[in-house]
Amino acid sequence: MRDTSRPLPFAKGARAVFELSLEGMVWTRRTLLMGLLVGFPVLAAAGYRVWLAARPAVPLPPAADLYAVAVAIYWIRNVLPLAALFFATALVADEVEGRTLTYLLTRPLTRPSIFAGKFAAYLVTTLSLALPSTVATFFVLLSARGWDAVGPAVGDLFRDLGVIALALVAYGAFFALLGVLLKRPVIPGLLFLYGWELLANLPGYLPRFTLTAWLRSLVHHRPAEEGLAGLFQQVLPAGPGLVVLVTVSALFLAAAAWIFSSREYVLEQ
Amino acid sequence: MSAEAKGAAPPLAFSRASRWYGPVIALNDVTVSIPPGVTGLLGPNGAGKSTFLKLAAGQLQPSQGEVSLLGRPAWGSPEVFHRVGLCPETDAFWEQLTGLQFLTTLLRFTGYDEAECRHRAENALHQVELLDAKDRKVGGYSKGMRQRVKLAQAIAHEPEVLLLDEPVSGMDPVNRRRVIDLVRNLGREGRTVVVSSHILYEVEAMTKRVMLVHNGRILAEGDVREIRDLLDEHPHTVALRARDPRRLAAAIVGWPNVISVNFGAEGEWLTVETARPDEFYGALHSAALGSGVVEMYSPDENLESVFKYLVAR
Repeated sequence: MRDTSRPLPFAKGARAVFELSLEGMVWTRRTLLMGLLVGFPVLAAAGYRVWLAARPAVPLPPAADLYAVAVAIYWIRNVLPLAALFFATALVADEVEGRTLTYLLTRPLTRPSIFAGKFAAYLVTTLSLALPSTVATFFVLLSARGWDAVGPAVGDLFRDLGVIALALVAYGAFFALLGVLLKRPVIPGLLFLYGWELLANLPGYLPRFTLTAWLRSLVHHRPAEEGLAGLFQQVLPAGPGLVVLVTVSALFLAAAAWIFSSREYVLEQ
Repeated sequence: MSAEAKGAAPPLAFSRASRWYGPVIALNDVTVSIPPGVTGLLGPNGAGKSTFLKLAAGQLQPSQGEVSLLGRPAWGSPEVFHRVGLCPETDAFWEQLTGLQFLTTLLRFTGYDEAECRHRAENALHQVELLDAKDRKVGGYSKGMRQRVKLAQAIAHEPEVLLLDEPVSGMDPVNRRRVIDLVRNLGREGRTVVVSSHILYEVEAMTKRVMLVHNGRILAEGDVREIRDLLDEHPHTVALRARDPRRLAAAIVGWPNVISVNFGAEGEWLTVETARPDEFYGALHSAALGSGVVEMYSPDENLESVFKYLVAR
């Protein structure tokens, strides 16, 4: 029996929005492009294996080093924040631009449940792209010279999967906040990624104000970097890193849900 | 109808409500109570009709005053949408969904289980004569079909209050007639229906109770016949797009209620000026079937001039 004196329960509303949003997110050009970017290391790893088989005498970097670069620099520092930027800033913006937000806001759904459903859809979509790519890259690379190297590194793989998931949550929460706060959030988002987040490479206290530095603290891999990052890069403690990332993600999400709940959306005719 | 809806509070009430967009005032100090039945909201584009409906649907907050819907503030009361349906003017959809999926998705948001969603969705699509197209993607629907599926989502959960923003805009005469009949039936069932239009004769076919909106104010409110009496002398313009416009022109040019017929630049459109719109619309139905009329509208300037005429009196 429906209770028409209250909005739909939070979980039920969020789930209904999640299902709709997931369907709308999966088959888009944005997802295809991000899928190619996120999946690139799998192709590169396959190329590495082919090269290794064809020219065994040619010296190549160790597979474990390549995997470390893929995780710490390619995914966590570059591609996943970009994926978070393009997906999470669009959570509400796509509905505003498509003028379909009206349908969501004129149903007995609380706005936080709408936001939660959409954020969950973002997370499932991006995790579906990132986690399988990580697992595939890990096995393709680390089994290059036999399966002996795989077993001891499986623990690192699980840790990497956790950090990748946390990176998507943290950056996603920040960019979702930017998406409900600003009308055109992509440029400020890029400035954040390739301006503000570079503070992570400076000495002193400043790296503590970046997501990159805290995420780096959770990853075991330390691939060599050049420039400022190579000179000063410091590693913050992992325990506080986890607490900080979970806390700021929760704060960003709460702020985004609050802004979305209190804001008026005047859709153009 | 629930007991609450039948109680003292009107289903929809504006109390000294105003709304600004920056320095522009879109609705100015409106106080009105909408009773059950169909109420026509009539005014030219930019008059404030859509703002009125957006305030009523809780999409906008009044800058001043209050808007109450089913006894609750319209803004920030999502629970009232169990009992309210909105057909927005914007032609916007999740284009990847089929007509049936579009409705079942929105019904799920209203809290029904899967079986009930499907049953209600099919019933609503049947009411707007779209059941045969239920498995086609909305992105492939014609303009008239999109209008009808929008209406279907508004009525599928059998709301007590219906807010319809230009619901027959872009429809062919046959479907226009069907939707007009549907709106009248919804009013007869005791639902509160607010329907906006810029075409007096369209509103008149749905209800006798109208509110005239102009420059953000409710200019007049009451029986549409009183307004009609003022307009007897005023010619009415209708634009028609037909597959065979020459055949349509030949059929209607001799009618006594037609003052002039002109072909549009693109060849498919006809502009007809009529002195007696009631008779004209009545006769048009059979002529439209023969010549394949696919779209019809009344140019907005027409109503604008009507309002100028009324204001000047």
